[in-house]
Amino acid sequence: MTERFPLSRRSFLATAGATALSGAISAPALAQGAKPLKIGMVTSLSGPFTALGESMRAGMQMFLAENGGKLAGRAVELIVEDDQAKPDEGVRKFRKLLGQDNVDIVSGVISSAVALAVRDVVTEAKALTFISAGSANDLARKAASPFVFRPTKTNWMLGHTAGQWAFEKLGKSGCLTIAADYAAGRESVGDFVASYQQQGGKVGKQLWAPLGTTDFGPLLTTIAAEKPEFIFSFFAGSDAVRFLRQMREYRLHGKVKLIGSGALFDQEDVVSAVKEAALGGLNTCNQSPTAPSSAAFTKAYQALRNAMPGEMGTAGYVTGQVIKAAAERVQGDLSNKEKVKEALLAKEVETVFGPMPFDPRNNQAILDIYVNEIKEGTGGPVNQVIHTYKAVRDPGPVA
Amino acid sequence: MGFYAVQSLNALSFSMLLLLTGLGLSVVLNLMNFVNLTHGSFFLLGAYVGVYWLASGAPWWLAFPVAFAAAGLAGFLLERFPFRQFYARTHLMQVLLTYGLSVIFADLMRWGFGAQILSAEIPEALRGVVFIMDMPFPIYRLFIIGFGAALAFALWFVIDRTIWGAVVRACVTDRGFVETLGLDTRRIFTAVLVISAGLGGISGALGAGILSAYPGLDEEVLILALIVVVAGGLGTFRGTVLSALLLGFAMTFSKVWVPEFSNVVALAVMAALLVALPEGLVAKKVRQV
Amino acid sequence: MSSIADGTGRVEASPASERRSLPMTAKAALLALAAAVPLLFAGDYQLRFLAEILIIGTAVLSLDLLVGFGGLVSLGHAVFFGGAAYAAAIAAQTLGADVVVMLAVGIATGMASALLMGVVVMRTIALFFLILSLIVGQIVWEVVFHWREVTGGADGLRGFPVLTLHTGFATIPLNNGVALYLAALVLALAAYFAARSFVTAPIGRALLGTRERQLRMSALGYSIPRIRLMALLASGAIAGAAGALYPFVNQYVGPNAVHWTMSAMMIIMLVIGGVGSLYGAFIGSAIYLGIQTYVSSYTDRWQLVVGLVFVLTVMIMPKGVVAGLRAAFGRRKDAEGRS
Repeated sequence: MTERFPLSRRSFLATAGATALSGAISAPALAQGAKPLKIGMVTSLSGPFTALGESMRAGMQMFLAENGGKLAGRAVELIVEDDQAKPDEGVRKFRKLLGQDNVDIVSGVISSAVALAVRDVVTEAKALTFISAGSANDLARKAASPFVFRPTKTNWMLGHTAGQWAFEKLGKSGCLTIAADYAAGRESVGDFVASYQQQGGKVGKQLWAPLGTTDFGPLLTTIAAEKPEFIFSFFAGSDAVRFLRQMREYRLHGKVKLIGSGALFDQEDVVSAVKEAALGGLNTCNQSPTAPSSAAFTKAYQALRNAMPGEMGTAGYVTGQVIKAAAERVQGDLSNKEKVKEALLAKEVETVFGPMPFDPRNNQAILDIYVNEIKEGTGGPVNQVIHTYKAVRDPGPVA
Repeated sequence: MGFYAVQSLNALSFSMLLLLTGLGLSVVLNLMNFVNLTHGSFFLLGAYVGVYWLASGAPWWLAFPVAFAAAGLAGFLLERFPFRQFYARTHLMQVLLTYGLSVIFADLMRWGFGAQILSAEIPEALRGVVFIMDMPFPIYRLFIIGFGAALAFALWFVIDRTIWGAVVRACVTDRGFVETLGLDTRRIFTAVLVISAGLGGISGALGAGILSAYPGLDEEVLILALIVVVAGGLGTFRGTVLSALLLGFAMTFSKVWVPEFSNVVALAVMAALLVALPEGLVAKKVRQV
Repeated sequence: MSSIADGTGRVEASPASERRSLPMTAKAALLALAAAVPLLFAGDYQLRFLAEILIIGTAVLSLDLLVGFGGLVSLGHAVFFGGAAYAAAIAAQTLGADVVVMLAVGIATGMASALLMGVVVMRTIALFFLILSLIVGQIVWEVVFHWREVTGGADGLRGFPVLTLHTGFATIPLNNGVALYLAALVLALAAYFAARSFVTAPIGRALLGTRERQLRMSALGYSIPRIRLMALLASGAIAGAAGALYPFVNQYVGPNAVHWTMSAMMIIMLVIGGVGSLYGAFIGSAIYLGIQTYVSSYTDRWQLVVGLVFVLTVMIMPKGVVAGLRAAFGRRKDAEGRS
């Protein structure tokens, strides 16, 4: 999908004021204004993450429309490519964006596997890269790269804080974990268990379900027989929906406290699909539709998409915000990447996620992590912030 | 005890879903010698119809006939074109045609229904659980077991014990002979395909209560159904039932005992079966590919 | 640059000579020119993309041996290709990525997995073969997906050395578009001739016989399992050679490379290009990857486009796009292409 801004959208007119404003601020960049700023975005528009990818694209488009299709005085051309959530395909598309479309910036990516796979491609090309959502810990550690910025969380940030919260509020023992058996699930559970045990918590049975499990019945019967105090879980997308629905089917919902990583209770992708079956669920996430920093965005997103924003819609928007901050701090001239990096590391960016400083060791965002509880809201169940862990920083390259 | 009783019921309910989906596929293979890989699309269509119907507030039990009708209609149209042109072709060409069509339908449905995951509202009456020796088991799954068994039995009865079934079977054996009796074999084949597609739709509507509906479900279901039908021994009724039970129990109990390796174990069981019995559980002569 | 192009021209001279219809030298020159054009005009990205088309095309070519000549439709073919890709990437971590070593590792792995597959699926035919190869393929995928220590699990493998070529006195790294394209071109040509000589040899004829008249072949004293196993091994060797180079195009290999959808994609490519034609494998792979990469830039509905192209090919041009177009526009040659 190539969307060439400025768009002739109605929403566009509504933000004409913002356009004029941003034009005024970036007046010094007029010399650069002639050449459009090309932003490439690779996200999943087919395959298992389709819905997430559509949200991410919508978030980015919404941000650009609000800015009148201009960042730092330069007209923006957004080129969106589909990676099908397949790393091989992702690499191909990154190469296309860099080698054929000659974009100034590459961004996007939902799957961690894709993020890891393209890491060497963008590093070799010295391309300014903003990974919007791929959350493998390694990208902030061994696989960190000088020009890859990550305005998103690492799995550790969520698993670690969930472990703290669980130990303080849910119980010192009687914990059972169940997660999707692939990289993200293993990492999340590993980080949760490490942090929970470090404080003295005791972990009971650990269950792993294959990715794409259709029937959780046998596992839920096992859980019913185990009678745990609470469950830590990592599932995403259709797995999460089925897991939560079947939890309720088997009368476990409400009986056993459930805490998970953000994806388990993603507002747009999961909670809106499972509705009441999500009520009472806890999750740690770098995003919340009810976070103070998200108030205006949540409203605008709802008006545009008729749904509360989840992590991916927000991530698309936040990526736009970070790119804008970077572009404005160097007056729209992104050719000197060292300067861009310096400018971005210099001070934090105000985003919908919350204040976002970047860690100079690995360009990883340092984020506020919200503990959300699913409560009944006006338009159905919604992620309510009940606690905020301020400025959580991944252990980084030393870990 | 209660634990294993409930796990067996889990296995039984999942087997029933496999069986219902497999039966639709098996009917066309058995009676028309036609491999229809668009069956997963009928399932997903039925699932979407079920989700929307159950959310609409109309009487819930009508969801199943409606899903049957919707998928049946799709089957009817497809039978006219292009399936009919491919009845006499090799299995390979049928596989290619119908797989290609399933790719098209997958994208059309994503276009029409969106990429979001939709989960079905299970009707109030079926929402509870029964306790079997202190272990909860959802009533909805009991409903699936009962409904599925009844449907499968009815199908078997019609095909095996009634004159209509005999006519259809005769069509396969000697189409020309049936024509000389003054029967329109084209219409008979159309009817079989509509029933098969409808079965796919009904299974989808039933399954939506457990599996939800989303792009990609069609493929997941199709693969399982295909394994069931082929491992059962192409298109024999008894074979399909046995192999659905085998796969259902293998998938369930591998999740009970070795959840991490459940897929590998279940696949290995089916592979071992086909290695030992290269023509499936219940062998039956089929025309050459 | 021009000397390299000349080099490829020489390699291609022999195939053209086997065709009688056109003056041999003219045809060789034309092919050499066609192969050289991308070197002059395409950038690094396009050359890598062409390399990928050639490598995947080679894997599809190996599938054509099974489908087009043996009537064995396999949904587990990605195991030969992806298994070799993993083996090469893993071996490269300790042995270094010398192109000859990698090819040897890939071919060995491809043949070993073909042997394994052959032993398991040998007794089945038709749909049973299709499903059993699918199941075997998925078991391998599960293993690859879960064996994190060796295969990197869901994240796959990256960070292994780049492909190199030892020339006796100097080691040339093959890590740019030009080198990868040339390597893939040599691979594709070599594979094409290997496959051609296989199908024209007695074993290839016998394979055709097993497809057409199984009973008669048995009666003549041919061992059908043995012939099929030979075909599987030949196919595995070619797929393995292609797989060996695959990780180095993008310096990445992931579990997708062994997934059944990869096998299904290869079948689609084969049918679009033309079953049983060998060269069609490359055309199918070019059309499929071209649609997927370029059409998806303009519309979310690219799968619809792939599906339509595929279904129309099956319905109108069951012998593939080239044969179909020839039958439609030309009078001569494959007139039977329209069926």
